Amino acid sequence: MLGASETALAHAIVLSSTPRADQTVRSEELAIEIRFNSRIDAARSHMKLFKIGGEAVALPILDAASADTLNAKATGLEPGAYRLHWQALSLDGHITQGDIPFAVSR
Amino acid sequence: MQLFIEIYGFLSVVLRGVILAAQSVAVGGLAFLMLLVWPLAPKLAGAGAALERRALRLIFVSASGLAAAEWLAAASLTVMLVGTLEIPAQEAAGARAVAVDLVAGVIAAVVAVSARRAQRGGVALRQSAPVLAALLIGVQAGSTHAASQFEGAVVLACAEFLHMAGAAVWIGGIPYFLMALTDVADPTARARVAARFSAMSVGAVAALLAGGALMAAFYVGAAPAMYGTSYGVMLSAKIVLLLGLLLLGGLNFLAVRKLKQEPAGPLLRTRRFAETEIGVGLTVLFCAASLASLPPARDLPNDRASFAEVVDRLEPRLPVRLDSPDFEALSAALPPEALKNLPPGAQPPRSPADIAWSEYNHHWAGLFVIAMGVMALLERVSRRLAPVMRHWPLVFLGLACFLFLRADEMVWPLGRLGLIESLRDPEIAQHRLLTLLIVIFGLFEWQVRQGRIKAWWAPYVFPVSTATAAAFLLTHSHALANLKEETLIEITHTPLALVGVAAGWSRWLELRLDGGAKRMAGFVWPIGFILAGLMLVFYREA
Repeated sequence: MLGASETALAHAIVLSSTPRADQTVRSEELAIEIRFNSRIDAARSHMKLFKIGGEAVALPILDAASADTLNAKATGLEPGAYRLHWQALSLDGHITQGDIPFAVSR
Repeated sequence: MQLFIEIYGFLSVVLRGVILAAQSVAVGGLAFLMLLVWPLAPKLAGAGAALERRALRLIFVSASGLAAAEWLAAASLTVMLVGTLEIPAQEAAGARAVAVDLVAGVIAAVVAVSARRAQRGGVALRQSAPVLAALLIGVQAGSTHAASQFEGAVVLACAEFLHMAGAAVWIGGIPYFLMALTDVADPTARARVAARFSAMSVGAVAALLAGGALMAAFYVGAAPAMYGTSYGVMLSAKIVLLLGLLLLGGLNFLAVRKLKQEPAGPLLRTRRFAETEIGVGLTVLFCAASLASLPPARDLPNDRASFAEVVDRLEPRLPVRLDSPDFEALSAALPPEALKNLPPGAQPPRSPADIAWSEYNHHWAGLFVIAMGVMALLERVSRRLAPVMRHWPLVFLGLACFLFLRADEMVWPLGRLGLIESLRDPEIAQHRLLTLLIVIFGLFEWQVRQGRIKAWWAPYVFPVSTATAAAFLLTHSHALANLKEETLIEITHTPLALVGVAAGWSRWLELRLDGGAKRMAGFVWPIGFILAGLMLVFYREA
């Protein structure tokens, strides 16, 4: 949908995201928002940020304004290629996983 | 734990299929008691009590199985959440879907216990059966796609309820109908049972179609989504199987009408068609479980395959690919350092050589399958060739060897993955399972045809294995990153599965029927094999 990879065997699919797939962001802080097509159990979903060639960091899920959205915040972003890995549990019990690649540049 | 996480997607679809099947048989049994056995008992010429006892036994078994499957589903989702989120089990078990499975399991257990008590003379089930049946389906309906919708969730849950209730009364009721045809010896009483079950089935089919049409209109939305998404393709397969069931049901409907005029008339065809309805009905339920794991077609407006892309993928083209690229040209042969820039867990994109390799495998497999179909057909039409052609099952062994060596290039003896290690990949595990089934087919069928295995059940291994493999193919997922490509692959696999279902059950009918119907069924499955072979020979991935 956004050029991001997504495991097909599931329900929740990404309708929009910040960052978008393959976007280049310039700041060292990033407010992450992923909106899905269905209701999500945010308490049982997660996001992980991988720096290509570096370590993975788990991002705490923040309270979202809507039941179809996952929010998180990434800080201290160094220039380079990243992959945002998400896993969402939809209310009907299906787990979806996906990745959003993006880059940080100054 | 990692292995469990990797195969969870496939396991959850299979488990959901088992849940739908067990639920249909349990609720179908309760409906059979409520609508047929209890009200008709005084008119069943003394056979009512025995029929009730047998029905209660099957309700007990299916409800116990349902309870176990629901609790297993709850446990597996909890383990999956604990494993992937690294949260305490208690927190994972608080998920809504886990709670729904646990509650459904408890209701199923209550049904099982009530059935057991009723077998011992208890009467409580007579009052509680409608509530228990409605609760079982209602809880399940509340945990399907509808649960995560923002709009129309209640209407969709009601449609799902109607759909599942219809399937339970019709498909789930057939085993009980077969019991009744055996237990009720008096021709007039038997004709009465058949007429009542026929009326129940008509009502159930109406409910099933009404609920299904409403959900299809909502989740699919527009015609292009029917062929352009995996959800639409799977729904199309379900509709084709349903048409097959309606054909068998229609034939039985006509037989029941005839039985009214001539109560002592023959019942063989009705019984055999009913057996086949159970088999095809189970396949439909697994298809429904697969459908429940896919995102609704309506939510994929930008990732659909166009009509032109579908036609382009299905259009037969010559020459077929009988030469493969060298293994060294494949992505699987890339050295580990070539993959270091890929994100963790990601696969390299498929190259033209990878596609050529896969097409070569499919085309050769197709030639094996065509050879079997042609030989089986010649066995039936030529007395002169029959002594040689009857050895056609041995071709299965050649096919299995070919697939074992070539189907998954990443695995031993070609690739780096060891045999056991490779089973962690659900797609490879499914390919291996199918290869094993092919070997079983071949050896069994050949031995049976030589008269070396005389057990009564031996001839049924072939049709049941064929139909089971076809049902598994409907749950087959490639879990690709590209949803459109996933759909285009489903479009090539799904017709193969449908032909497999037809071949398996027509062979069953050939074994179980007599006269002209037996001969006709005997021609259907070899032709099904030839069709499947042709689909493989013209299979393309680009």
